[in-house]
Amino acid sequence: MAAGALTTFGPAVPGDAARARALRLLLIAPVVVLIVVFLVLPYLNIVVMSIRVPSTRAPYAPGFTPDNYLRALTDSLYLGALARSLAIGAATAFFCLVLGYPVAYHLARTNARFKGLLFAAVLSPLLVGVVIRSYGWIIILANNGIINQTLRGLGWIDSPVRLMYNEFGVMLALVHVFLPFMILPLTGAIQSIDPNLEAAARSLGAPRWRVFTRIVLPLSMPGIQSGTILVFVLAVSAYVTPMLLGGGNVQTMATLVVQQLVDAFLWPVGAALALILSLAGACSVAIYARLTARTMRRLGP
Amino acid sequence: MTRLSISGLAKRFDKVAVLKGFDLEIANGELISLLGPSGCGKTTTLRCIAGFEQPSSGRIEFDGADVVRLPAEKRDIGMVFQNYALFPHMTVAENLAFGLEMRKVAKPEIERRTAEVLKLVQLSDLGGRYPRQLSGGQQQRVALARALVIEPKLLLLDEPLANLDAKLREEMRFFIRSLQRRVGITTVYVTHDQAEAMVISDRIVVMFGGEIAQIGSAGDVYDRPASRQVASFIGLSNFIDGTVDGMDGEYCNVDTRLGRMRCRAGGAPAKGTAASILARPEVIVLSSTEPQDVNRARATVAERYFLGNMIDYRLDCGDGVVMQTQQPPHKVFEVGASVWFAIPAGQTWLLAR
Repeated sequence: MAAGALTTFGPAVPGDAARARALRLLLIAPVVVLIVVFLVLPYLNIVVMSIRVPSTRAPYAPGFTPDNYLRALTDSLYLGALARSLAIGAATAFFCLVLGYPVAYHLARTNARFKGLLFAAVLSPLLVGVVIRSYGWIIILANNGIINQTLRGLGWIDSPVRLMYNEFGVMLALVHVFLPFMILPLTGAIQSIDPNLEAAARSLGAPRWRVFTRIVLPLSMPGIQSGTILVFVLAVSAYVTPMLLGGGNVQTMATLVVQQLVDAFLWPVGAALALILSLAGACSVAIYARLTARTMRRLGP
Repeated sequence: MTRLSISGLAKRFDKVAVLKGFDLEIANGELISLLGPSGCGKTTTLRCIAGFEQPSSGRIEFDGADVVRLPAEKRDIGMVFQNYALFPHMTVAENLAFGLEMRKVAKPEIERRTAEVLKLVQLSDLGGRYPRQLSGGQQQRVALARALVIEPKLLLLDEPLANLDAKLREEMRFFIRSLQRRVGITTVYVTHDQAEAMVISDRIVVMFGGEIAQIGSAGDVYDRPASRQVASFIGLSNFIDGTVDGMDGEYCNVDTRLGRMRCRAGGAPAKGTAASILARPEVIVLSSTEPQDVNRARATVAERYFLGNMIDYRLDCGDGVVMQTQQPPHKVFEVGASVWFAIPAGQTWLLAR
């Protein structure tokens, strides 16, 4: 039968292509459902919540109002927290990049036998829950913690150095835990740079630092971009670490949101703050992506 | 213009000796190729000259000055890589300008020299393209141009044609050779392709297992190979084993399973020495009647393959001896036919066994 014979040509037959497409859609369906049910719908709920009237006796009072936003955008407490959140995010991303790049380069280029061990070490911060990890830092950084006791034992200081309950402690802990999110994409990007390119640059007279700035750095841009964006987004929205290691002294947008929701029981205010943080983060990422777009374009399709 | 001299060059990786300490002199403006199977040390030698690999011992001198302690970027060499290693984020012109920028050449001068070299490799219109927008052959010429534009002391090429298709590879051999002659630059060319080495080189350095097996012109290594190993690596070979009976002028008489044969020899081996006669397939002459030649024997055509410009025969000479020969296609011998073959003594070569 002619028609039957035709189907043996596989994907070229229209019916087959349609079936392949249906199968693809079926396979991505679970993730789409997850995102819609657990991300899109809750977000819409937050959007609606953010324009409701706050009440201390119920989640919200009847009616709608723009006041939550107006207050957040005019109050220096909230604006300061927003600026601090973005600054901590940017600084964490920057330090992760500076500290993570040499590690990523080494991981990408080494063929040592203990490479697997090195990867495990890089991932180790993620193996411990955030609360336990933060308490670990507290044991080290507190006024009577390991560092201060050691320094006092050596007689180098009289009164303890303040290492936590400030931005320093928060940033230190954030850089520690988010390093893997920088190192992994960077390693991938550097691995895809042909080592012969570096050899070629050197043969053309470029000393090592020129090889880095002219060849390796621009070619690893995709990794730098995804790593910094990941770390920035994670750091901006971090809550547990700023709360535990900031000890109330480091007010970020995330800690304020929880305060409004849990302590003050003002859900509409918390919702508005959360949305402002999301939008500000998204805008920052968009601006950053635009700034790095020129280098990325050169790398081509 | 540079004279390159290598002495006692040795390289060990862990405990494996990759280069076993050899000497090599390369004259000013000469093109030599390092030819050998993979793992013979040819690429390691090149990387030692370039400065990407530190030799375990030995000297590498450019015009008498030892460069072993000099980092790659200070050696002033132009290198072409097998995969070209063009900078993908730079245009062709930017790739060419890179080496000149590192040398702090003034901008107008960079533009002038870049344009000049692009013309030399016939790519004048493509300066604004990115490498990914070029064909393999064009990328190869950009790589050459990038290496030459800095006017280096030495040009090093690491299997530069290995990634091109057969037709283009053949064209590029001649292109590289004529370009090198015009520029007059001392060049080291690494390849595992003997035909490429023969076309392109002034001299061929045949390497096996980290040592030099032979240095010589294409004619030397093909017609007068230093060993059986060199003979079988370069071109097709028949080896007829025998025992030396004695010298007769510059010829040597050898007793073989095909009878007594006369053959050319490099030295004067003693009577009784075990030896092999090298007979290249194309020097053997097939005929249906008995030839006049001293070296002649009978055989049966066992297999026949048509190659286009040649016909390839496998001859069964009896006693387990099989010979390969390639004949011009105007006369055809049938499989199973009984034939005579002759090996002109002047085209044979005696090798130690």
